[in-house]
Amino acid sequence: MNQHSPSSGARNVQMARSMCWHCQSEVAGEYFCERCVKVQPVSKETDYFTCLGLPRRLTIDPSVLEAKYYERSRAFHPDFYLNKTEAEQAISLDNAATLNTAYRTLRDPVQRAEYLLDLEAGSVKTIRTSPPADLFEEILNLQDTLDAYRAGDHSSETGRQLRARLEAEREALERRQAEMEGELQRLFVEWDALQDRGEADSQARIERDRLLKRMREILSNRTYVKNIVNDLVATIG
Amino acid sequence: MAYSDKVVDHFNNPRNMGSFNKDEEGVGTGMVGAPECGDVMKLQIKVQNDRIVDAKFKTFGCGSAIASSSLATEWLKGKTLEEAERIKNTDIVQELNLPPVKIHCSVLAEDAIKAALADYQKKAGSKTGTGSTGTGSVQ
Repeated sequence: MNQHSPSSGARNVQMARSMCWHCQSEVAGEYFCERCVKVQPVSKETDYFTCLGLPRRLTIDPSVLEAKYYERSRAFHPDFYLNKTEAEQAISLDNAATLNTAYRTLRDPVQRAEYLLDLEAGSVKTIRTSPPADLFEEILNLQDTLDAYRAGDHSSETGRQLRARLEAEREALERRQAEMEGELQRLFVEWDALQDRGEADSQARIERDRLLKRMREILSNRTYVKNIVNDLVATIG
Repeated sequence: MAYSDKVVDHFNNPRNMGSFNKDEEGVGTGMVGAPECGDVMKLQIKVQNDRIVDAKFKTFGCGSAIASSSLATEWLKGKTLEEAERIKNTDIVQELNLPPVKIHCSVLAEDAIKAALADYQKKAGSKTGTGSTGTGSVQ
């Protein structure tokens, strides 16, 4: 078999993604070949924003997101492919799975920001932030208090005092978490504005890096705070 | 996923848990975190004549993170600064039999060692009377 022959279908699909896997004509429609009306696979390189037909922005109207999701779900849902060929069923299943992941990721603001950071800056590791030493110290001290509370008699005077302290800490940390989420929302707006301006000069690059770094910091710190809050909730209810 | 016996042992009987006063002379403090999972690790060394005479840790995280830092303090005690610098996360993975999903815990421990050594060097360097000859390679 000659792998290099121009009629070798699988190879051509890989080389030109805009070509229909079935009839090999150029695909003009978004998910369906206009000529043979076969469903087209969503490329693995397609980012979740594109997958849902949204611009790469962090502020997303949940109702718009949901509408886009349902619209595309109707196009891809495997139930609609029961009478189709095996190849089409497989594609619809893959597409539906990708779409679900995209929707779940973008629906949650924190996951959405994490995802955008991945897209914009590669892995988390590439953005270096200095560890928040004060927050770490606080978490480790709090953990000591938690250990003391767990080990002691809850109904004793010391037990009650420890509990009161833990409850106050929990409230303070939950407030802090809310503040972080508030700042994240503000950064979303700044990020989107920067994207809308579409500038590519050095100042825009500096601003872009500053926003990415700050978002990375907040997301990390939020994870630390969330972990200890979960621990507090599990212990004192 | 089951933890290896060694991880369970370190988790149940953590070695050298606690802390030194970070301002004390000869103490180096490494404070690191893993933003992916929210684990926090503090590792401290006490140095005399370029040798680590004591080490302590505090870790907020999963069993593997606790075991990794506990093991790290055990290994650090008695080592010279240069020897300590050579501890690799892969050594910890091997010793504790960590599964792939927990390798980042050993990386965190290595980072904590490096951070503690760097902090010690910084503190020692900022003092005028550098008694020792050279401070080994800072790599």
